[in-house]
Amino acid sequence: MNLLEIKGLKIHYITDSGVVRAVNGIDLEINRGETLGLVGETGAGKTTTALGIMCQVPDPPGKVVEGEIFFEGSNLLEKNAREIRKIRGSKISMIFQDPMTALNPVVTIGDQICEVIRLHQKTSHAESIKIACEMLELVGIPAERINEYPHQFSGGMKQRVVIAIALACKPSLLIADEPTTALDVTIQAQVLQMMDKLKKELGTSMLMITHDLGVVAEICDRVAIMYAGEIVEYGTLEAIFNNTAHPYTKGLFGSIPSLVLDVERLSPIDGLMPDPTQLPTGCSFAPRCNEKMSECEERKPELFQVSPGHFSKCIHHKNEMHKESRGC
Amino acid sequence: MSALLEVKNLKKYFKTPRGMLHAVDDVSFDLNSGKTLGVVGESGCGKSTLGRVLINLLEATDGEIFFEGNNVIGMKKKQIKDLRQYMQIIFQDPYSSLDPRMSVSEIIAEPLRIYEVCKSNDELKKRVQELMKIVGLTERLANAYPHELDGGRRQRIGIARALALNPKFIVCDEPVSALDVSIQAQILNLMQDLQKERGLTYLFITHNLSVVKHISDDIMVMYLGNMVEKCNTKALFKRNFHPYTKALLSAIPIPQIGIEKRRILLEGEISSPINPKPGCRFASRCIYAKERCNSEQPVLREILADHFVACHYVESINIL
Repeated sequence: MNLLEIKGLKIHYITDSGVVRAVNGIDLEINRGETLGLVGETGAGKTTTALGIMCQVPDPPGKVVEGEIFFEGSNLLEKNAREIRKIRGSKISMIFQDPMTALNPVVTIGDQICEVIRLHQKTSHAESIKIACEMLELVGIPAERINEYPHQFSGGMKQRVVIAIALACKPSLLIADEPTTALDVTIQAQVLQMMDKLKKELGTSMLMITHDLGVVAEICDRVAIMYAGEIVEYGTLEAIFNNTAHPYTKGLFGSIPSLVLDVERLSPIDGLMPDPTQLPTGCSFAPRCNEKMSECEERKPELFQVSPGHFSKCIHHKNEMHKESRGC
Repeated sequence: MSALLEVKNLKKYFKTPRGMLHAVDDVSFDLNSGKTLGVVGESGCGKSTLGRVLINLLEATDGEIFFEGNNVIGMKKKQIKDLRQYMQIIFQDPYSSLDPRMSVSEIIAEPLRIYEVCKSNDELKKRVQELMKIVGLTERLANAYPHELDGGRRQRIGIARALALNPKFIVCDEPVSALDVSIQAQILNLMQDLQKERGLTYLFITHNLSVVKHISDDIMVMYLGNMVEKCNTKALFKRNFHPYTKALLSAIPIPQIGIEKRRILLEGEISSPINPKPGCRFASRCIYAKERCNSEQPVLREILADHFVACHYVESINIL
């Protein structure tokens, strides 16, 4: 049984200027101990997906329109607020993008870590402080700094505190929403290495949301590429990086200046992400795609299995397969 | 070829309640016309301050800046105004660097109005349209306001504004950091094309090493206000000598799998630039640090031809 299974999830924001289709029918699975990378650009719906799993989509204007989210076998969307609160923070926890704003500036970091421990575990005050100290040591902060306030820490240290809070109850699923985007590269390297180590020690599964394919290559087992609220490609790390199938993923790789090779000119994806209130009727990537055909603008492509476990949402694949089978 | 920009022992200190903050400390370099110098470093290393001091948006504490042979430091206001036509800046955040109450055409026209370049309103309008075309903005956006546009388009406005007066030198202060990768590539291509067409000289400030490798001819690595290594881009990625450069390069996640990487993890964090102690500023995080590093500040030395490094023990670390 998978730890997390999302089926046909649709999340819309209903605003005065129209319905924003942030998440448009996605399917995802995360196995135990696995790290899944969710990659996409601003506005692709990555964070909304994460909030959906946490049952924290701001309502109004957000609404989970359709779909199921199975966590350890039970559907999170059918649970009431009290049951969700028991899971959130203990079994599923989240690391936010910006450590500068994720912490409460007027509460010591010790109290902020203790808060989550005391909420979910029946521990005395002294015990919770002891656990908090252990967590701090685990993320590489000396335990004697427990009574300090967030402003006394640097960005990288604050993110460690946020990670300590997220891991305090030993969750089985950790959702990391761009955990290193706000950090410098040398600090990012420290934090990523620490997260990878802790994940292995605690056996936590992770949903890593990022736009940095370099981070993905480093830490993820499987990758899902998201575009305009849909998962357009999905597969193992090797499949996505060495056997890229979807034109959007190819475009993403072409846009990154390489550190290894000398490239004279980048090959960017033309145009912009479509307006999420007015998504195209056909393939949502068609207006920017350089391999598009007339068919692409008429109907939505289905998810197609390129190789076992590697899926891509593009009409091209189907046609190619068709040709091949006829050729045989 | 003579250098367009010559910087000698440039210093910029800020007064803070806790003491002097050494944002840029003793930086010297030459920049030839038509070239791009990349400045890399982590947040707080003084790279943006350097960019601003160079075009006189901030006054230097000490040192000399020669632009086409004339010393910019100590110039009168009028002279600086004349000079600014030729030195422009593109800012990092396209969301806060544009006046929200001015339309796109007004923003681009502003420098042209200030310098009274165009004789009539028709000419001004034509010039603005021309600039919008150059940076790839459609004409119908002329009367739009910045809030109606996305980050990539806003950055194009910033570039058009910087180009308006036909500058020779542009400081690009993290121009693509706030943009998505696919948009980032569009802007980088645009900037390269413009450089080729107009012979522009860029000082390209960024923390993104793959971007800087892509666009620069030379790279300067900064750490806490000091320049620690400077050389040709290709040479730097082939052979680098300063311990900080090594750590910085090894820390970048590479979007490719199956690459063997030896990562040098730095312990600790950047120390404070306020009243820095004598000695090498990187010493507290350096694995090779010895006693001398804590007492004596290393000077920039030419280790190989055109390859400058500031480290006492560069020879023994690299077996030179």
